[in-house]
Amino acid sequence: MVEIRIKAEAPPVMGRPDDYPLGLAYDEMFARSGETRPHYQLLHTRIQTLGALELADRQQTLERSFLLQGITFTVYGGGEAAGERIIPTDLFPRILPATEWAKIEKGLIQRLKALNLFLADIYGEQKIIADRVVPRDLILGAPSYRRQMQHLYVPHNAYVNVCGSDLIRGEDGEFFVLEDNLRVPSGVSYMLANREAARRTFPGTFRQAGVKPVERYPDLLLATLKSMAGDWRPNPQVVVLTPGVYNSAYYEHAYLARLMGVPLVEGRDLAVHDDLVYMRTTSGLRRVDVIYRRVDDDFVDPLSFRRDSSLGVAGMFNAYRAGNVVICNAPGTGVADDKAVYAYVPSIIKYYLDEDAILPNVKTYLCRDPVELSHVLANLDKFVVKAVGASGGYGMLVGPHATVAEREAFAEALKADPENYIAQPTIQLSTAPCLVDGRIEPRHVDLRPFILSGEKVVVTPGALTRVALKRGSLVVNSSQGGGSKDTWVLSDDGHTLPDLPDADGADAESAL
Amino acid sequence: MMLARVADSLYWVGRYVERAEHLSRLSAVMLNATLDRTEAGAQAAQLARASIGDPEAASLSDPFNAARALVLDRDLGGSVVVSLAGARENARQVRDQITTETWERLNLLYLRATAGQAERDFDANAPDFLQGIIADLHLFKGAADATMSHGEGWRFMLIGVHLERAQLIARLLRVCFSGAQGRVLDDHLALVSILRMACALEPYLRAYTADLHPRYILEFLLFDEDFPRSIRYSTALMEEHLTHISKGREIGRGDPLRLAGRLNARLTYTDVEDVESTGASAILNSVEAECSAIHQAMYETFVAYPLETRLPA
Repeated sequence: MVEIRIKAEAPPVMGRPDDYPLGLAYDEMFARSGETRPHYQLLHTRIQTLGALELADRQQTLERSFLLQGITFTVYGGGEAAGERIIPTDLFPRILPATEWAKIEKGLIQRLKALNLFLADIYGEQKIIADRVVPRDLILGAPSYRRQMQHLYVPHNAYVNVCGSDLIRGEDGEFFVLEDNLRVPSGVSYMLANREAARRTFPGTFRQAGVKPVERYPDLLLATLKSMAGDWRPNPQVVVLTPGVYNSAYYEHAYLARLMGVPLVEGRDLAVHDDLVYMRTTSGLRRVDVIYRRVDDDFVDPLSFRRDSSLGVAGMFNAYRAGNVVICNAPGTGVADDKAVYAYVPSIIKYYLDEDAILPNVKTYLCRDPVELSHVLANLDKFVVKAVGASGGYGMLVGPHATVAEREAFAEALKADPENYIAQPTIQLSTAPCLVDGRIEPRHVDLRPFILSGEKVVVTPGALTRVALKRGSLVVNSSQGGGSKDTWVLSDDGHTLPDLPDADGADAESAL
Repeated sequence: MMLARVADSLYWVGRYVERAEHLSRLSAVMLNATLDRTEAGAQAAQLARASIGDPEAASLSDPFNAARALVLDRDLGGSVVVSLAGARENARQVRDQITTETWERLNLLYLRATAGQAERDFDANAPDFLQGIIADLHLFKGAADATMSHGEGWRFMLIGVHLERAQLIARLLRVCFSGAQGRVLDDHLALVSILRMACALEPYLRAYTADLHPRYILEFLLFDEDFPRSIRYSTALMEEHLTHISKGREIGRGDPLRLAGRLNARLTYTDVEDVESTGASAILNSVEAECSAIHQAMYETFVAYPLETRLPA
């Protein structure tokens, strides 16, 4: 009786292909033939047993738990709490099979090792420039190149301690690196919070699928940060430096500090005396050894960088130079994730490691080159053009989706300052099923895994999957209306279906 | 050891939470007292307003709207929603220091009190609405007690709670019993309202029976050893928490621990006869002044100390 009723009120179930239109893009759940991909079998079976009401209910519970926990980001321009919003979160996990993940993991480790060597080189002997692998002016002329960092000792050559690379899956299912985020990448708290939520939304499926855990991220981060302190400091004091409660990622800063069990400090909590950094505690000043800073380079120290900054600490950079404190990530890493330097990363990997890049780049045209510029201008309707210095989905043109007027305006900007732009062919990001207005529809997604590098390089088996919630949109940034979902990395690819497809029953999963 | 800024924020969480609770209770008693349309009811409402420093208390015409503003007005400094917002904003700044259970209580309460629906709920059933807030604040304190480590941070928060409480009760008693209102309060219903405002009616009845007398009320709310809202009790707790967080520190002149200890000693060894002979206002005024001094001394000792004095050896 009950069985029949559940099925009766189940309109959003994916009766492929009519209900779930597959586009040009690679779909994470369905093969082009319409078959469900093996690693999605379990979830697909489960979704089909749930009705529209049940799904909506779970979605609502999920959003409420985010609001209650205060997992919000601040929208600029609003007063007090008026500007707090949750990032839209989708209840269906995105699933990656073990074999695919193994390749991603290897590729990411290789890439970060090469980038760290690259940073050590350009702030040291500059061999790669002397060997003409990358152009001198591209590096030394970049605003993100920090001369202050030259010939400064960085333990383990780990300039980038926390990296969040953006990967996308192209139409043929191949993963590409779209961007390296080497400055102060954020989003890891969503990876952890989404997992927490997904465990409650689909507990039975989660258990059966055999998902690799992401929960060790905070302690691995702490170990990475501690490994950056000198051996002569036996129990190094680590702190997280935040710009403060008005920063859009404040929740994440507090979250990480809490899970690592270290103080969350603001600039005004720190003081420098005799090249030693202290924090003000209730019982006097206490020495700080490692600063995981979530403040941009420019604001770290008004004496060394931007003078009008009040977010950092005067004298901190000198303490760093003196070797009395470690700043993570090191200042000046931004030069290596510059969108123009990005084009050279495969050569950089080849140069330092003598290996081919495991994860390919997206083909990139540098507009600084006149030949490439004219090619881009002639095909502006096919390209995505990005400003080199911008991030967060600002200052970019998605050619195929732009109007003629928008393209013309952008072409003018391009011609005026070609060095500031790169172009990439428009790639149809892969799609994954999302619950939108009570229906299950495909939406474009990317993948941001997090890599830690100190004494060792480790990749957490999971990621933040960002979702472009607008139908057809390819822009996933949260500032541009993107959302997120949990990412499951399977521990093996057996994909055995349970004997009883309903083993985790409606009861087990609706209990929340 | 904890960050000075964090200690300061936790202290303010305590103060704001206590203020919100006290104001909710005052509003509830005020609304309840004016239901009767008696002289005593109006008097109680006036006292409530006067005790939070409202200069227009005497000309109070519309108690319902007065209570409504006291609870929901976002522009009225010290209203319940403003206090809740203050507590939550401070808690958000030290989110890493308080447990999730504690934070979620406060966040939920804040979201509820500031929702668009809050005004409708208040108009529909104000006593229920206020009871809900008070109960939620109790849950917050309970969650803090049950889940937070009873270390320095928790102690700073409780010092905030008790300092605020001692000040608020002292102010309430001063307005009621120092003769400032120009007459002696002896109406039974008015006295019941005063005890309700201090959440003290039932404990008082158990200690003194239903014999309501200003003298006993003063004695109970000033000197009772066990009642958690007597000034002496709050002062004793302030001293206790300060003793813990002052371990290993040199206690100099003007130290908050000294000030709190002195006040506690005074309240322990004074009795109501002494108060009657000098007038209640003397001791109540000095309680308020001492609390301000403790507040200032804490700030200077734990938060805004000059760097040179506190460098590690």
